[in-house]
This record gives sequence, C-alpha cells and structure tokens, in this order.
Amino acid sequence: MANEKVDVVIVGGGASGILLAAKLGQAGKKVVILEMGPPLGLDDLVSSQIWSRRLKWGGVPVVSEGKNPVAHNYQSGWGLGGAAMHQFANWPRFHAEDFRVKSQYGRGLDWPISYDEVRPYYDRIQKEVGLSGDHVAEVWRPAGDPYPMPPIKWFRQADLLAEGFKKVGMRIAPMPVAINSVPYNGRPACIYDGWCEAGCPTGALVNPQVTYLPVARKAGAEIRTDAYVTRVLMDAKGDRATGVEYYDKGKQRQVQLADVVVLSAFSASNPRILLNSSSDRHPKGLANSSGLVGQYVTAHITFSAFAMFEENTENHMGTSGAFGMSQDGYVKDSHPGFGSYTWTIGVAMKPNDVLGFANSRPQLFGNALHDFMKRASRGLARIGVQAEELPNAENRVVLSDRKDAYGFPLARVIHGLDENSMQLFNHIRSEGDRIVKATRAKETWTNPNPGLAHFLGGTVMGKSAKDSVADSYGRTHDVGNLFITGGGLFPTIAGVHPTFTLHALTLRTAEYMAKNWGGIAV
Amino acid sequence: MTSVHRRQLLQRAALGAFAYTVGGAQVLLSPREAHAQGLPLKVLSPDERVALEALGETLLPGAKDAGLAHYIDQQLSVDPSEALLLARALGVMPPYANFYRAGLAALDASSLKHHGAKFAALSPEKRSEFVEQFRQKLPEGWSGPPSPFFYFVSRGDAVDVFYGTVEGFERLGIPYMPHIIPIKRW
Repeated sequence: MANEKVDVVIVGGGASGILLAAKLGQAGKKVVILEMGPPLGLDDLVSSQIWSRRLKWGGVPVVSEGKNPVAHNYQSGWGLGGAAMHQFANWPRFHAEDFRVKSQYGRGLDWPISYDEVRPYYDRIQKEVGLSGDHVAEVWRPAGDPYPMPPIKWFRQADLLAEGFKKVGMRIAPMPVAINSVPYNGRPACIYDGWCEAGCPTGALVNPQVTYLPVARKAGAEIRTDAYVTRVLMDAKGDRATGVEYYDKGKQRQVQLADVVVLSAFSASNPRILLNSSSDRHPKGLANSSGLVGQYVTAHITFSAFAMFEENTENHMGTSGAFGMSQDGYVKDSHPGFGSYTWTIGVAMKPNDVLGFANSRPQLFGNALHDFMKRASRGLARIGVQAEELPNAENRVVLSDRKDAYGFPLARVIHGLDENSMQLFNHIRSEGDRIVKATRAKETWTNPNPGLAHFLGGTVMGKSAKDSVADSYGRTHDVGNLFITGGGLFPTIAGVHPTFTLHALTLRTAEYMAKNWGGIAV
Repeated sequence: MTSVHRRQLLQRAALGAFAYTVGGAQVLLSPREAHAQGLPLKVLSPDERVALEALGETLLPGAKDAGLAHYIDQQLSVDPSEALLLARALGVMPPYANFYRAGLAALDASSLKHHGAKFAALSPEKRSEFVEQFRQKLPEGWSGPPSPFFYFVSRGDAVDVFYGTVEGFERLGIPYMPHIIPIKRW
C-alpha cells in the first residue's frame, strides 16, 4: 500500500530524526517519521536499571563480531526518542583539530567542514535546549557562547576524586551537561536521583521527547512507530529516491512516497538499508559509488578506575553522566598512543546493570560479592575516560548471511581495536591508576581491559564521492534527494561524547535543506 | 479492570513485579513472590531450573529465594523486544532461551566431566571452585556460549534480582528515589 506523498520521510525517530522533523515542519514541510520501535512515552521511563533495558535495541538482531565487538544493543535505542532516551547527557564540543585530524596530523580522516562552520549551531542548540557548565573553568573548550545555566551540583564523590586529579597536577572543570541545573525553558531542574540511564521523564535532561518532539508534532509532523523500513525506493532510472518501503505492525508492506528521503536510523541500520537497497543500477548498494557504505565504524575506547573511600561518597546522588571533566590529555600527539581523550569525574551509580557497583569488581562472587556491595554502596567512586579511536576501514558494517523475516540480510558489524588504540588505552590506564592512588582512598583499582562506548561512522561525510558517502550536510553524493543524519556521518569520533555535535550538525542540515529545498526536492 | 486497579498494578510493575499466571489469571508478582508461591516455570525445564538456581546461589547467595529462576523464565516467555534481560542489552541473539539452555547444559556437562557430577550436585566449595575456573577461561568439555560471558550474564542476573529492586536498595541502605513512578502504557 502506498501512502500519500509527503515532502520528507525520515527513517528513525531518534535525536537527529526528531530534530530534523521539528525544523523542517516549522519550515512548512510535510514530514513523516518512520520509527521501527514502539511509541515510547515519558510514562514508560520506569526508575529501574532492569526496566531501562527496554530503551535498548529490540529490533532485528545485529550481529556484532571482531576482536572488540561494538556493543550495538547497549548503545542503540528502541522506540521513539532512540538512544537519546538513555543518554548520560555529557555534552562537550568537538575541538577544532577533531575536524582536521588527517591534514593536521597525517592520520585518520578530515571532515569537510571546520569547527568554525559548526560553532554557530553548537551555540544555537545549547540555547534552545539548555546546557549547564562553566565555560571559564573549561579551559580546553573551543570558542563558543557561555553556557546558559551554571554547572550541576557536585556531590561528595566528585570532591574526593577531584583531589586526586589536583594532586597529580591535572586541571579539572565541571562537565557540560544537557541537564538543567536550574529551571530552563519551562523544564524543571534536575533532582539528582541518578536514574538518567533509565530515562528522564521530568524534563530536566534533554531527551527528544521533552525538546523537539513536541515542536515536531505542533509543526504537523506525523510519527508512525512500529514501522520497519527495509529499503529506499528509487525511480525507474535509478537516479532519484522516491520514498521507502516499510513493514507495519501488522507485518503488511507499505510504501511511503516522499520528495526527500532521510536516513536517521542508528549507525548499523543506515548502512544496512543502503546495502539492502541495491539494484541493477546500484549493485553495490545505494549511495555507495565510493565503496565506503559501512566502513569506518568507530567507537570510543573506554576505561574506568575506582576508589573505595571510608567515608560516604553519596554515590547514589547525581547523574549517570559526570560531575567533572579533564581534557589535559586532549592534544592528540602529546602522549603514548595517538588520540584525544576526556576524563569523566564521578558518576551516580546503582547496584546492578552494566555500570553498577557489582561490575566494578566482576571477579567477585558469592559472599565476597555481598561484602563488596555493602562497602561499595557507601564508599565507591569512579572516574572514566572516553578516548578517540582512529577511523579504520576494516571496522565496518556488512550484510550478514542471516536474514530477517522478510528475507533481508541482517547487519553484521565487525570491529577491533588496533595497536594504536591499545597503546592509548595503556597510557590512560597508567594515568588513571596514578589519579585514584593520589586520592584519600585506601583501596583503588582499574579496569584491565578496554571497553567501547558509542557507535559512529559507517556512512562518513567528506568532500567527494571518492572518499565519502555524503557531504557535510549529509546529502549523499550519489543521490541528490537522499540524506543521512546522525553519528554515522562522523569521519572521526574525537575524544568527547557525540550527542551535542550530532544535534549541531542536524540543525545545520535542517537549515540547508529548508533554504535549498527547490534544488533538493525537484 | 478499574482504572485505580490498573494504576496500582502498573505501579507494582514499576517497582519490579512481572506478570505471572496464577490459577489461569495473570497477576503481578515480584520474582521473589512467584518463587515463594512455588509457581511452575513456563520455559525452562526442571533440570535447567535446578542448574540455574544452583549457579545463582553460588554467584550470589540469596538469589534463588529472590526469584532468579522465575525472573529469567518470565523474561524468556515474552517477546524479545519486551525482554528486560541483561542478555538483551549485551547483544545476545534472541531467542534468549537458547543462550540460557546452552549455557546451563554446558555448565552441567563440563561439571560432570571435571567433577563427576552435575553442577547442583557439587558441594558449595566445589561449585565456587568451578565458577572461579570457568569465569576466567573455557573449561574442557564446555560447548556453549563462552564461559566467561555466561558467568558475566548469570552473575548480572543474580545481582539484578537481589539488588536491583526496591528491596535490594533497602538492603544496601540506598534510597531508591524513583523520580516519578510512571504508569507504563501497555
């Protein structure tokens, strides 16, 4: 069944899809969002790490392999709002050099845009949604407007950890977070209950449901959930996209026609849709004349160090993100292992789940685990790192031999950390060990193996179809009315969390699309 | 169902209760309550239950009475997209029952090979010794999900059911602080 044609069909109801729908809707465009997951609402955000797993991927399986498989399900979202519904809301900016890693250092890739071109969009987004931070204390921050709200409150855990950083001579600052420290734009201040990962229904944390979804709806955007998009459809010549094919909740095939198609699904799904959209005209998959669809998947290398204090660290209070940060290690070639990284200082913790107390000592079980849990609930503190992995074409999304119920191959993500990443991790581990040992804690330990966070790349932007899939607006080089938004566009991952940059880029894309509609849609 | 009754049921859902069938009717019970009432499992076999509870008790004493088997079993009976299992978040391929069945079978087969008895029949000391062994590397005779990963998931399940609830927080002296107890839309 073919639905009435609209101006834009957006595949994926996550942060970038909803933001784009809001702005294009306000620009007078008729928009449909097709979200694969359920119609999640704020009242679904149960305060429980167990129930929080409903916010994680629940769609067709994604096969994740390699020496260091990406944690696709944990990183991805499920339902309206996407991964941003369980984000930790750490929102630092990319630095200028993150956009020109290849030309400045001879490694990695370049973005086709500079920080200066993205800066106005960072400034606008932070004003629209509200960020809390201290632009003066954050000495590494690139030029940008001051944060509209003061930093969030620190609890004892952060103060105790900060002592360690200061003793080893490292500078610290409040982490800029997309969480209200004071009431802002009709949304309340945070109450510091540490349930961010389970989803924030209060409005204090910037998730799409409290920011751009109401705007999109008011602007007339139609949102269809339980809509599983399988392919982008093309005209008879194979030159222009005409819409998408999807399967609805009743497993009926539907077609949504549109003048412009935007893929805003997660970093495994967008390449999968493009590859599954192959045809005689596009035998390697859509938008893939470069051969790069699926390539350059990147993740942040993560590390944690722990300190057990004898006093009450109040570790159940705060946010799932971080109170503080340090970017003294941000200069990419200033230490063993090339790449930037950001320290996160203190996070609210719960007893269970992936980042809970129990997993800070995974080797403990039995009564030893019970004893540890009692101590940890009072005295545990944590620092962490998000470190930059250089783009590697061997880290990629391909099509699996396994197929879904409709006969479409699943996505298979292959990822491994290279020698440089391990060198960087080992350097960070050594630094982290020094930091926690410099605190008052009598007992400290570090994670011996790297973890991974976030999942970006796979449809990287660049200057031409020779070396990228899309331009700086996410417009694919090969198909003029087919766009991509979201983290899949990132050629490099930087040493910071991606969500603020994702928002800034999407706003820039929305503005471009609205201003240039005639040249895109026709 | 009245709207008040529904709100109460949904608030209980928010606090860690799940739908179990009692006398043909669906009621919301915590896994601990379901275990205490001796409700039969729907998905796991009796042998699998025995192995799972023995493993859970070794990993975290008290997990059995906290309803570990009922929690896992109930979650295996729902659509994978509705499941709350740690296994889902960690990328285990559905159906999740395959993972648990294969892991528990590997546990028992390997225990038989090394210690002459299924896992639940070992002494507590032997069970702990065996867990210490397989949490680090694959023991001989183990053919299922990698044993360190199976350890990690099973341990996480035990911690979920014992400490990841309102009662669990109380045991640790941590205020639960639900921001709002939301009403979940079915």
